[in-house]
Amino acid sequence: MIEFNLNGKHVRSEAPDDTPLLWVIRDEFGLKGTKFGCGIAMCGACTVHIDNDAVRSCSLPLAMANGKEIKTIEGFENKHPLQKAWVKEQVPQCGYCQSGQIMQAATLLDKNTNPSDDEISAHMSANICRCMAYSRIKKAIKEAAKQSASGVNIFDPSAAEEA
Amino acid sequence: MKLLNSTLFNNTNTNKSIDHDSEEAPQLSRRKFLIGAAKSSLVMAFAPLAMSLSASASQIISDKAFSPSVWFEIKNTGKITVHVARCEMGQHVGTALAQIVAEELGANWDDITVEHASSDPKWGFVMTGGSWSVFQMYKPLSQAGAAGRITLVEAGAKLLGVSPNNCRVENSQVISGSKKISFADIIKKGTFDRTFTPEEMAKLPLKAPDKRNTIGFDRLALDIPPKTNGSAVYGIDVELDGMVYARPVLPPTRYGSKVLKVDDSSAKKVPGYLGYEILKDQSNWIEGWVSVIADTYHGAIKAADALKVSYQAGDSANINEQDIIDEGINLVNQKNAGVLFVNDGDVDKAFKAAASSMSATYITHTAMHFQMEPLNATAEFKEGIWHVHCGNQSHSLTQPAVAKALGVKVEEVMIHQYYLGGGFGRRAYGDYAIPAALTAKQIGKPVKFIFTRADDSKFDQARSASVQKVSGALNKNNELIGYQHYVSAGWPTLAMAPGFMPKALDGKGNFDPFSTSGSDHWYTIANNRVRTINNQVAQKTFNAGWLRSVGPGWISFGAESFIDEVANEINIDPITLRLSLLDGKGKNKGHHPQSVNGAKRLKTVLEHCRKSASWGKSLPKNEGIGIATSFGQEREMPTWIACAAHVKVDPISGEVKVKKITMTLDCGTVVHPDSARAQIEGSILWGVSLALFEGTEIKNGNYVGSNFHNYTPLRMNDMPEMEINFIDSKEFPVGLGEPGVIAVAPAIANAIFKASGVRLRELPMKAEHVREQKAKA
Repeated sequence: MIEFNLNGKHVRSEAPDDTPLLWVIRDEFGLKGTKFGCGIAMCGACTVHIDNDAVRSCSLPLAMANGKEIKTIEGFENKHPLQKAWVKEQVPQCGYCQSGQIMQAATLLDKNTNPSDDEISAHMSANICRCMAYSRIKKAIKEAAKQSASGVNIFDPSAAEEA
Repeated sequence: MKLLNSTLFNNTNTNKSIDHDSEEAPQLSRRKFLIGAAKSSLVMAFAPLAMSLSASASQIISDKAFSPSVWFEIKNTGKITVHVARCEMGQHVGTALAQIVAEELGANWDDITVEHASSDPKWGFVMTGGSWSVFQMYKPLSQAGAAGRITLVEAGAKLLGVSPNNCRVENSQVISGSKKISFADIIKKGTFDRTFTPEEMAKLPLKAPDKRNTIGFDRLALDIPPKTNGSAVYGIDVELDGMVYARPVLPPTRYGSKVLKVDDSSAKKVPGYLGYEILKDQSNWIEGWVSVIADTYHGAIKAADALKVSYQAGDSANINEQDIIDEGINLVNQKNAGVLFVNDGDVDKAFKAAASSMSATYITHTAMHFQMEPLNATAEFKEGIWHVHCGNQSHSLTQPAVAKALGVKVEEVMIHQYYLGGGFGRRAYGDYAIPAALTAKQIGKPVKFIFTRADDSKFDQARSASVQKVSGALNKNNELIGYQHYVSAGWPTLAMAPGFMPKALDGKGNFDPFSTSGSDHWYTIANNRVRTINNQVAQKTFNAGWLRSVGPGWISFGAESFIDEVANEINIDPITLRLSLLDGKGKNKGHHPQSVNGAKRLKTVLEHCRKSASWGKSLPKNEGIGIATSFGQEREMPTWIACAAHVKVDPISGEVKVKKITMTLDCGTVVHPDSARAQIEGSILWGVSLALFEGTEIKNGNYVGSNFHNYTPLRMNDMPEMEINFIDSKEFPVGLGEPGVIAVAPAIANAIFKASGVRLRELPMKAEHVREQKAKA
């Protein structure tokens, strides 16, 4: 039996150890936002976070998830700045790859709050968007970076005086 | 089967102006429009004339007996639901269609929701493809909205005690001076029983373009929020009570394979393995298929891998890409191969009289869909109906295909619609539902049938490899007096929808219009002939498919490369040559409403693109800008496009880098500007991808491309800069889903020539092709 934390909840699975985590997330725990694309970690549609790293769940055996913290798109609860930016920039077309794109992008912004065009391309070229909404993905990442930056608490003496 | 676009296709070869009404879905033009109350809603729908003679509008509506090809309802809460028979596969089509209704209805956009319909024979022919949706639905939806507005004004005026003539509609309210009443209140208090004849519908006053406040304005696409949080439901997300999982084992050839023996001794060791079925398809669409069943999908994948199946393979087991190309070359060099598609003037005479002539052969290789969501369908038999759950572009093609395979009546199959994880033509003929339904039938249980990526690729309906030969005759003044174009490929429409194939000009058979379109250009050349030829080696080896931009996607590569070759040969600027041929005379004058001003509009976009791409500016060494035009997706629905590609060619490695694509378009009225732009952004990159990064080959009867390691669409790091300009137009809207792809490949080929002096006549264009040509020169 494998135990792990899924979007903040402690869960157990009795699926065979070699079952890719993707199918456990989707079919056992019913979280369908994570998608099956290629099965060989080449497209990124199945990207989830494991201990805050972007991982291709289609190629990760369940056994490797033991004791880990796993987050899927549902775990963002519609609150992640990237999700807002994705709507603002009207990114998705067919939308199938977008959970994976957002999970992938989130790990970029975690480490780099102000990525350049080239840094975004380097990080995001691991994910395929067959509709090729790439220019909007790039724009939305920049938008989210901007929003996150403005969300940083900066001590403002004038505000403190008013208070 | 009713032909969706029969009027369009039958007119493809002629100069005859088409009937004013032909741009709407034909089945709607013969229907009455009904408005009546049902429960707490006001319902507006089309119904057949015959039906509406025998009962009142409200009776038909409360009995739900109408044919809901187009319908919408307004609840007494004011909520408006527009039901659309088009699927969402990335175009945000529901939003655009709802905007058309909302505009004429005078609705507050916040009141609108869209529902995508499941299959029902009442819908008539339903297909989301061909870049047709807005083009076909613009007029009927505008009229339907206007009929709703008039009815609400009449009822609202009565309630307000004013004359309807003094009322206007705004934000879901009927307003007269200082008095106003909401749609919700009108529906709560009013009575409705109103019928509009087709003649009355045609005469309804529509808003002048300058009075619009919804069409042409951006709205957040209604399908986007669920696509950012994992809640959008695709076919692959469907779950049914008591279902099991299945995966196919595909035969060694697409056609004619037979299972001889199955050994599942190793499969039995896989946890959750439940057994296998040799599928019995009564339509023989799939032959030699084994379905492997397990209680998890992972179990089905492993068991299918462990299954040992021996076959008698079909005839195509030894066919390779080169066999198809060789056959194509053979065909385009036979004077009378195929059938006649265009025949203006006397081409033979022109070539005899010519001072000089030239010709070139262009080849494109097999190209695949690789839509992100692998093919899948979930099927169950319940209360006498076969329910099939999957995303698909056409109930009307999929439903009868499934029924035939099962050996049941069409009415016994119901297709349930979901979001599509990409369509691009692969989900038009939904044959992936066949093995799902057959498995459910043979094991007597609901089944979720999923193709792995490799299974999906093996069962793809690829864009056929093609060969085309273009010839030009020049007089002593270097004027193009004769033009001849032979196009050959595997024909998807022959395999999947033969009823769509119109008769050839010479009456010698039918042809695939989608594999021919794009050769009927808008350049005025007095003597002009096109023959279209089915490549039967391709046809018997694989199921050729409709791939986004279809025929024009490869045919324009030949046509628009050739025109550049002519320009170079006679030493004239390639834009100047094109402009001189775009005189808008004769058959190139266009017609009302969709191609008003004809070739002159193509001339305008070309001039605009020349300027925005800074044509003629000096560039660094090894760089060049190439131009191409297109009028996709069909001559009868022209989206006027000029495309400039700026490339850099590495003189040593031959590597081609696209630095920038500049595109100017005139698609008439733009209903939803932001999603129009999104379609063009995506399709430009599709064009670049098909030109440089995609393409595969047939080996031993199968596609070599099997997964993203050996089929490599463009990724973000290969994305060029894009500049997209729409011409501001009030003309009739045409299509946008595919046309942006078409001109990109020839523009890149023409740019490579400018940058390096190398002329590439083969897609995809690879660095080694540049090196080979350089070595030959």
